[in-house]
Amino acid sequence: MSSMVLTMYRSRETRLGLILLTVVVFAALAAPVLAPFDPGAVDPNARLLPPGSVHLLGTDSVGRDILSRLIYGGRLSLTVGLLAVLISALFGTFVGCMSGYFGGWLEAVSGWLIDVQLSFPFLLLAIFLLGALGGGTVAVVLVLALGTWVNYARIVRAQVLSIKNLGYVEAAHASGAGVLRIIGVHILPNTLSPICVVASFSMAQAILTEAGLSFLGVGLDPSTPSWGTMLNDGRDYLLSAWWIATMPGIAIGLTVYGVTQLGEGLRELLDPRGRR
Amino acid sequence: MFGFTVGKLLRASTVLLGVSFLAFIIGHASGDPVLLLVRGDATAEQKAELRHSLGLDRPVLAQYVDYLGHALHGDLGVSYRQHVGVAGLIRSRLPNSLELAGAAFAAATLLGFALGVLAALYRDRWIDHVVAALSVLGQVVPGFWLGLMLVLLFAVHWRALPVSGSGGIAYLVLPALTLALPTMGRMARLVRAGMLEALGSDYIRTARAKGLGESEILLRHAAPNASLPLVTQAGLEFGDMVGSAFIIESVFAWPGLGRLTVNAVLQRDFLVVQGCVLVIAVAFVTINLLVDLAYAWIDPRVRAR
Amino acid sequence: MRGRLEPAAFGRRLATLLVIAAAILQASCAPKTQDAVVVASVSDVSSLDPHLLDNNHPTGSLIWSLFDSLVRRGPDGADLPRLATSWERSDPLTWRFHLRPGVKFQDGSPVTAEDVKFSFDRMNKPPFNTLQQLWAQTTLKEVRVVDAQTVELQTAQPSVTMLYWLEEAFIAPKAYYSVHDAAYLNSHPLGSGPYSLVEWVPGDHVTLTANPTYFGGAPAIKNVIFKVVPDASARLNGLTTGDIDLALELPPDMISQAKTAHSRPVEILGLRKLHFGISQNAKLTALRDPRVRQAMNYAVDVAGMIKTLMHGSTVPLTSVVNPPNADPNLTPYGYHPDKARALLAAAGYPQGFDLDIDFTPFWGQDKDVSETVAGYLNAVGIRTHLHADEWNDFRRKLSDQSFDGIFYAGWAALINPSVELVIFTCKQEDNASGYCDPKFDDLVHRANTEFDVDKRKALLDAAQEIAWNDAYWIFLWRAPVYAGLSDRIDYQLRPDDYVEIYLAKPRH
Repeated sequence: MSSMVLTMYRSRETRLGLILLTVVVFAALAAPVLAPFDPGAVDPNARLLPPGSVHLLGTDSVGRDILSRLIYGGRLSLTVGLLAVLISALFGTFVGCMSGYFGGWLEAVSGWLIDVQLSFPFLLLAIFLLGALGGGTVAVVLVLALGTWVNYARIVRAQVLSIKNLGYVEAAHASGAGVLRIIGVHILPNTLSPICVVASFSMAQAILTEAGLSFLGVGLDPSTPSWGTMLNDGRDYLLSAWWIATMPGIAIGLTVYGVTQLGEGLRELLDPRGRR
Repeated sequence: MFGFTVGKLLRASTVLLGVSFLAFIIGHASGDPVLLLVRGDATAEQKAELRHSLGLDRPVLAQYVDYLGHALHGDLGVSYRQHVGVAGLIRSRLPNSLELAGAAFAAATLLGFALGVLAALYRDRWIDHVVAALSVLGQVVPGFWLGLMLVLLFAVHWRALPVSGSGGIAYLVLPALTLALPTMGRMARLVRAGMLEALGSDYIRTARAKGLGESEILLRHAAPNASLPLVTQAGLEFGDMVGSAFIIESVFAWPGLGRLTVNAVLQRDFLVVQGCVLVIAVAFVTINLLVDLAYAWIDPRVRAR
Repeated sequence: MRGRLEPAAFGRRLATLLVIAAAILQASCAPKTQDAVVVASVSDVSSLDPHLLDNNHPTGSLIWSLFDSLVRRGPDGADLPRLATSWERSDPLTWRFHLRPGVKFQDGSPVTAEDVKFSFDRMNKPPFNTLQQLWAQTTLKEVRVVDAQTVELQTAQPSVTMLYWLEEAFIAPKAYYSVHDAAYLNSHPLGSGPYSLVEWVPGDHVTLTANPTYFGGAPAIKNVIFKVVPDASARLNGLTTGDIDLALELPPDMISQAKTAHSRPVEILGLRKLHFGISQNAKLTALRDPRVRQAMNYAVDVAGMIKTLMHGSTVPLTSVVNPPNADPNLTPYGYHPDKARALLAAAGYPQGFDLDIDFTPFWGQDKDVSETVAGYLNAVGIRTHLHADEWNDFRRKLSDQSFDGIFYAGWAALINPSVELVIFTCKQEDNASGYCDPKFDDLVHRANTEFDVDKRKALLDAAQEIAWNDAYWIFLWRAPVYAGLSDRIDYQLRPDDYVEIYLAKPRH
């Protein structure tokens, strides 16, 4: 594990990405301690203040501190992204496993479902679903998970098929091992690495998509501080209070860069071992 | 080939059926259109009367079949909010979306190519770093945020370009550029890599040894090879671009299909949303089908799968 | 050795391309000069059918331009003759209207009493009767044609508000409107109004052209385009480039940007009463205690919010009825958080309670106001939970009277106390908070059937006092109307949001 990190550390971009990611995650975890103000504390007398000594990054249209909202917003955006990735990884792996292992109608149906889903541009489906479900954190997490489960399913299915071909499965079957044991011992460990790589890129995509959905007004509740809702807040104030829209964008950029670099680093690391 | 084509067509049809049903179900779950049409003080009887006159009290499956039947004839229903035909609305907005997507796609490929070439030629000089930074920027920040920043700079601060809307070329610049940026970045990187590989290869060295001029080498030999990966990537990018266009159209108030859909979703105008989803999905499936068939025709190995 | 393309050649080609691009941009950037006056609003008209009017603007503004009604609503609430030149009541239940002679629809056919009867009867049928309130509110029973220029209206009970409801009962030609189907009529209006329709591109714009034979004289502005521009900064930008002449619905934070080389900001104190309705149907029984409602009013610093959020451009409400009919004895609650806490404790909630706040992006600054009020309520111990509702959900809760707590809304941008008070009566479908007080109802019903002016005023004042002291709302302020006006035209804003573009004049 530590050798992995050290190897990644050597590349300059990956190093920068990891540092950024660590800072962001730390800020999110230490939010209650780090944030100078209550992110929801409204103060109409202090509205639309530019970045200054009291409010380091300025205030928004009801006087809330941007820096504090940025820190708590990061917490929310990262949590939503992480949950979405977990759910989609679990679900995608499950489907991939089952359709690869059992084949037959299971594979046909899941393949068809995947085709149906991929016929929509994902954002359209997301907007459509959230419009029907009514937004909110749970709905957003589920919809974001919907965006990437297909990637896991495909990779896992491919892995399962290639392992089946290698004969391990038949041998294990012959010696009496159950399906679960075969999957658990032979198949899953080999899929873990590519899953991790996909997971990092999914995380980046989830953060960006959440921002877009909240910006349109179909995502998270507008009063909760998330980076996406903050971008929406700042839209009408581009001329008068540019900091409201600019700061969350920078935060997203730095975080997504960090996560993407993590993914790239993992990919290069695992490349010589995998067949991809 | 024939068997392959029939197989693909069948599959495409089942997918389309699934898509239309999915669109219908989600649209139905979006809410009660009767509430869209009545004033606050309408009585329950009035609402029921309206519901009956719109055919909304029939079983869901019956409504779906009815909808499908009409859709096949080009009738996608009437918008609850705007009282005009959905098909007509879509028809009037589609060209605008195509214009935007086309301009963005052209900008992404042309500029992406140009930047990639420049980055390869002036490797490790400032332009290479700028292109790399631009490419990274295009991937890590939300596209619409970049759009907002461009608006802040060009439209609000310098007043050189309009903030939003449509009208002439000037209105197209910012939205197309915003939409193109992520793709442009990826293309530039691909082209750069391709160019570097090509420039360092044997046959280029041979060409130089033969005494050919630099520009000729560039244009006739290196560039065409570098652009191959661009073509395959372009196909993949198109789908992403259509998705991003939805948000970009909202940011710039571009009167296209994306904005129509988003507004319709927000207003619970579910027939409009269904129509848009259906049209876009049909387009996607059709394009994919054609591309699959084209590849299979060119490369017989694909058919065996 | 790595070769390089001659930088000079490449640079030259690039430069040429850039110059061409710049030239194209420059050409399309030139400010447009057009003779049509462009009015920019947030949303599109929902229908051009005269009996499907569902809001003051933009639908109301367009219908008012395309059609006529018997009586015109003046900006101060007065009833002015329009298609009817005079009217009288032969008895409390019978109204007789005399039509203006010589008025024609835009296809040349004359406007007669038959068309009036047809239009009113149409308003009583579905789907129009879900949006039109004439029959229900005035207890209208029958419309009779006495002769080509005279119409008689028969009501079941005396109706004090008949003229008010006639103001938006638009007259459509019987021949045309009985022949075409609903979808066609939605987008092909035919009226007798000052403008006729050139085209409606849904979601984008409506183009009108002046009616040269209008009985009031052709309007001064010959061509008008109502454009849909949802983004506030885009509307402001249009003012700067000259593309937009009247930019409406500007937020107070941006109104100063309307001052440019050829445009100016205009402002008028509106009539729409912004408030938080307090739901009586919520599971939260605390809201049914008048002390709790009064406490919420004391907890909110309305004057402070007007100074900061509204830039001091409006005044606090002093009644549920607009001036000049507001009861002069009522005064705003003021900002007294200590009184609020005391009242909450007296009502049995010393630890406060959990409260839902619903809002929807419709009346302007909905989110900011809701969040600020939430802050004030939090400060006196009420734990608030904000909900941004989608417009149609919000509308449903308004009509079902099913809010869980308090909700931000704007109401009754009009001057007519009988109508303004009716929404608080028990069975009223507009009564979004579900309030029901038989004493209040009795006063209002008696006032609405009382033709004697002094007696009516006494009843109305008494009803207002109940509404105010019982704190049916968290009372905020009157919505200011902000717009940006280009220096090409002169136009006086109306406080009730209708845009009577036929009254605009070019400036020289």
